[in-house]
Amino acid sequence: MRMTMADDPYAALGVSKTATEAEIKKAYRRIAKTDHPDLNDDAAAHERFKAASSAYDLLKDPEQRARFDRGEIDAQGQERPQRRYYRDYAQAGDNPYRGEANFGDFSDVFEDLFGNRGRARGAAAGSAGAGGRSWGAGAGAQSFDMRGADHRYTLEVDFLTAARGGTTRITLPDGNALDVRIPPGTRDGQTIRLRGKGGPGMGSGGPGDALLTMTVAEDADWRLNGDDVITTLPISLDEAVLGGKVEAQTIDGPVKLTVPPGATTGQRLRLRGRGLKRAGGARGDQHVELKVVMPPRIDDELAQFIAKWRETNGYDPRRGGT
Amino acid sequence: MAGSTDQAMTRAEILEALPELTDSELAALIRSGVVRPVQSARGPLFRDLDIARLQLILELEDCYDLDRDGLALVMSLIDQLNGLRGDMRAMLQAVASEAPETRARLRQVIRETRVTIVTEDETTPG
Repeated sequence: MRMTMADDPYAALGVSKTATEAEIKKAYRRIAKTDHPDLNDDAAAHERFKAASSAYDLLKDPEQRARFDRGEIDAQGQERPQRRYYRDYAQAGDNPYRGEANFGDFSDVFEDLFGNRGRARGAAAGSAGAGGRSWGAGAGAQSFDMRGADHRYTLEVDFLTAARGGTTRITLPDGNALDVRIPPGTRDGQTIRLRGKGGPGMGSGGPGDALLTMTVAEDADWRLNGDDVITTLPISLDEAVLGGKVEAQTIDGPVKLTVPPGATTGQRLRLRGRGLKRAGGARGDQHVELKVVMPPRIDDELAQFIAKWRETNGYDPRRGGT
Repeated sequence: MAGSTDQAMTRAEILEALPELTDSELAALIRSGVVRPVQSARGPLFRDLDIARLQLILELEDCYDLDRDGLALVMSLIDQLNGLRGDMRAMLQAVASEAPETRARLRQVIRETRVTIVTEDETTPG
C-alpha cells in the first residue's frame, strides 16, 4: 500500500528518507518559493505548500523525525490548524497597508466606483491646497520641492475616551511619543490628521501629515446605535415593584434616574442628549435598558409572601394580554 | 473588517506565537514601517492581519536573502497586487450581474484595448 503525500512527509518534500537536515530545509524552501499561496494563485500549488509546510514542521525537528521514522507517531498529528494567509486580509478593501493607486485619467472613474478610498490618501498629500483630484505626491513631481509622505497609523481607544474625548499618547515607529487629542464623539473608522507629523519634505516642501485611523474597542457596558448609546441598568426587585431613584452611568458621569413603579426587564428609559456628539454639535440620546435582578437569596419571608400573593394575583407572562 | 482588534495580540503574545520572530527583528520591522500595529493605551496591538503579514515576512526572509529595503519593496508590491486583485474581483462581480448587452459592449472595449491576438473562431459569426 502506497502512502499518500499527507502520510509521508518525505514524499511531500520530494526527498529520500536518508536526506540530511540541510537537504530537507533546501527542499522546503524550493517549494515555498514556487508554491507559497501568497505568491502563487494556483490551487494545486496551495496544496503542495500546505503538505510541504506540515512535512517540514515534522522533519526539521530531529527528535520528532526519529520518532516518526520509528513509527511512534504519524504525520497526521502534525497538521497545522487551518491557516489564513496574508492575501485573505490584504485583498479586503480596507487593508491599511495598501498604498495609493493611480489610474491617471481614470482616477475619476475609479473614485466613482470605489469611493473616496484612494482620494482620502491622495488628497492628504495635496498640501498645495484643496487640489481635489490630484493623487499622491505626483502633483509636485516636477520640482525638487516635495512635500513629505503621509504616515498612516491605526490607533485604538476605549469606548469612553472616544465618546468623551481626551488625550492619548502614542509611540511613533522612530520611538518618539506623541500626545493625540481625541475629539468627543469619535467613531470607529474615523481619521484624525496631525499636520506635519509625517515624513520630512524635500527642498522647501513641508513635512507630511500623520493620519490616524481610529478603532474604538468594543465595550460590553456601552453599545451604540447610530448616535445613541445603549446601556443596561440592573435594578432590584423592590425598585422594580415600587419604583424609585437609581443612579445610572452616562458618558458624562453618574445621574439620578427615576424608575417608574412596575418596571420590568427590557424596558427602556431615555436620557435625552446623553448620546454621542454629532458633527453639528448636537448629541444623540442614551437608552437605559432595565434589568430586574432577584435578591441573592430568597428568604422565607419573601417566599411566604409570594406564595400567598400568588393565590389571588397569579399571572402568566407567557400569555398575551397580561 | 481587517482592522478589528477583538482578537489582537500584545507584543509578548506575538513573540510567543511566532517563535522565529525575535524582539529586535520585530522592533526593526515596526521602525521601518513594514509592520504597523495598532497603537493603544495597552501598547502595540497586532491584528490577525498583522500576524498573517508577519508570518509571510518570516517566510520570505527565510526563502530569499532579503535586506530591509528589499523586504519593504516586496511587501509593497504584494499589497498593491492584492489590492488590485480585490478591486478586480469586485469589478468582475459587478460586470457579472449586468445584462448580456452591457457585457457585450464591455467585452468589445476590453478586447480592443487589452487583447491583441484574436483567433478566427472568435471573429467569425457562429
